[in-house]
Amino acid sequence: MSRMRERLAPVRLAWRVQRRVLGALLLREILTRYGRHNIGFAWLFIEPMVFTLGVTALWSVIHAGEGSSLPIVAFALTGYSTVLMWRNMPSRCITAIEPNQTLLYHRHVKVLDFYVARIALEAIGATVSFVLLALFFAYIGWLEPPENTLKVIWAWIMLFWFGAGLALLVGALAYRNEIVDRIWHPLAYLTFPLSGAAFLVDALPPRARDLLLWVPMVNAVEYLREGYFGSVIRAHHDMAYMAVFNAGLLLVALAQVRKVARRVIPT
Amino acid sequence: MHEGTGPAALARLLRRHAGAQGRAQSSAPALARLASLARRHWLAVICVVIPGLLAGVYFAFVASDVYISESRFVVREPDKPAATGLGLILKGIGFSNSGDELMATREYILSRDALAALDRKGGFERAYRRPGVAWTDRFDPLGLSGTFEDLYDYYAGTVSVERDSTSGVAVLRVRAFTGADAARFNRRLLAMAERRVNAMNARGRSDLVRQGIAEVEVAKRRSLAAAQALGAYRDQRRVADPQQQGMVTLQLVSKLQDELVRSRTMLAQVRGLAPDNPQIPVLEQRVAMIAREIDREIASVAGSPASLAATSVEYQRLVLESEFADKQLAAAMTSLEQSRSEAARQQAYVETIAQPNLPDSPLEPRRLRGIVTVIVLGLVAWGIVHMVLAGLMEHRE
Repeated sequence: MSRMRERLAPVRLAWRVQRRVLGALLLREILTRYGRHNIGFAWLFIEPMVFTLGVTALWSVIHAGEGSSLPIVAFALTGYSTVLMWRNMPSRCITAIEPNQTLLYHRHVKVLDFYVARIALEAIGATVSFVLLALFFAYIGWLEPPENTLKVIWAWIMLFWFGAGLALLVGALAYRNEIVDRIWHPLAYLTFPLSGAAFLVDALPPRARDLLLWVPMVNAVEYLREGYFGSVIRAHHDMAYMAVFNAGLLLVALAQVRKVARRVIPT
Repeated sequence: MHEGTGPAALARLLRRHAGAQGRAQSSAPALARLASLARRHWLAVICVVIPGLLAGVYFAFVASDVYISESRFVVREPDKPAATGLGLILKGIGFSNSGDELMATREYILSRDALAALDRKGGFERAYRRPGVAWTDRFDPLGLSGTFEDLYDYYAGTVSVERDSTSGVAVLRVRAFTGADAARFNRRLLAMAERRVNAMNARGRSDLVRQGIAEVEVAKRRSLAAAQALGAYRDQRRVADPQQQGMVTLQLVSKLQDELVRSRTMLAQVRGLAPDNPQIPVLEQRVAMIAREIDREIASVAGSPASLAATSVEYQRLVLESEFADKQLAAAMTSLEQSRSEAARQQAYVETIAQPNLPDSPLEPRRLRGIVTVIVLGLVAWGIVHMVLAGLMEHRE
């Protein structure tokens, strides 16, 4: 037992340092991004909330009177929140290194920390926004609380995993090659219709359904919806596939980040 | 950095054992090398080697052979009007306008009812508790969870109904630990599904037709009642048909009036020619009689409550009612005929395309694939954990 502790001592030490670094980076990111004036860091989740509310209002108007059994508010909230979860992380990670590069003079600050801090920030913002909106809509009675909260949480974690992997990969590739930055933004927009946010997979012809389930986010979105209002819809998902995909993505992404980390020098 | 406790200790043990036996001296350095390798790559041992070995042992020695029996069927059903426009997009092209019956059949096959029917004499449960089936695969391995609900949970893993999205054919697969079991359950499920669909059909058919028959009965009674009411009224009022009778009476009246006019002129003539003619009183009496008769006849047609005009209103009502009832009866008869032919046309039925096969070799578990999958996923996990740990350790003082 004591030998084990002895062995783990350096890990614990490293972890303590890393935690301090990440905490400092998170604070720095919040301050540089939102400043101290008006509501300050609250923008972190107010921004995505405004986004989601806007989209919800828009869709409610468009789909008014279609008379499907599915409440459009629930549909929009689950759909758009998930997009926020994974789409902003890569965009933030593309620009993660440059403003922070000087910090690399500190021995303990590593490139991966920049990415992790930004990813964590996006995840916190999207999560708080989703939770607050869900509570708010439930409070005013527009939306039933989730039928299976654990499923919702699990889907959310899977989306985070996917978003983090994608962000690390895109961020690292963009640092090495400018084209990636240019390509990513249109790509992010083009993936929106494919992400499962704006439709239910069940509403597609069977062939299209089979093809779409190869897109990883779709599985998580469907799973989340099943957890939220599964009794109303028939969800299609394959979470095992998504886990495998995420693992592969993360592996490639981490390798790319390591490659980049070796090249980055403090300016 | 650290040494893996498990495999390293095992290697040491082996080494000591080999030393005690006093043989295989040459293997000691090899084992030592292996041990130091394991110590250096302890993470790989945890992530890849151990799971790989476990998977190898499991797939090689533990996992039982699974036989899969497959059958293919379609549920034919009458054409339904296709949904249009938005409804099509929203409701899904895949399920709404074809495959309703198929879905119902699927739900039935995967229901507790089907399992209860399949396991009526406990045959299903026995088949999955066979001695010799690995405890990882069998039903209720510890004997703690033998309820019907547990069996139903297990059942969901043994039976699958999938619809081929391109051809619309349903595939029923049953997994069991002997080929005969799989084929037997598949056959029985197929037969049960067929019976179920037939029962649903019979229900639908008899419902439609029964309704039609009931409607015809009601219409019959109505028409009969109306006819009877009309007859009774005729008896009571002693009229056959007030309109025609009225016509006859009026004709009679006009004839009488002619007669009256004739008699009056005659009277006037006689009075003018011979005032003392004994014919005069006779004629006068005749005129008076005719006039009285005319009054009476006219009164019988109209004016009094018992007159024909008064009866004619009620009579017309009754006639109309009777005609209406007859028309309704005819309509009900037609719709009954229609629903009969409709029911005959709207038969859904299970059409078996491929009979359940009797598998003569196990298709699962896919041993090699399982082992390779575990190892590949282990490698991925190893890579991720390794890099995360490396990233973490870069923060050391």
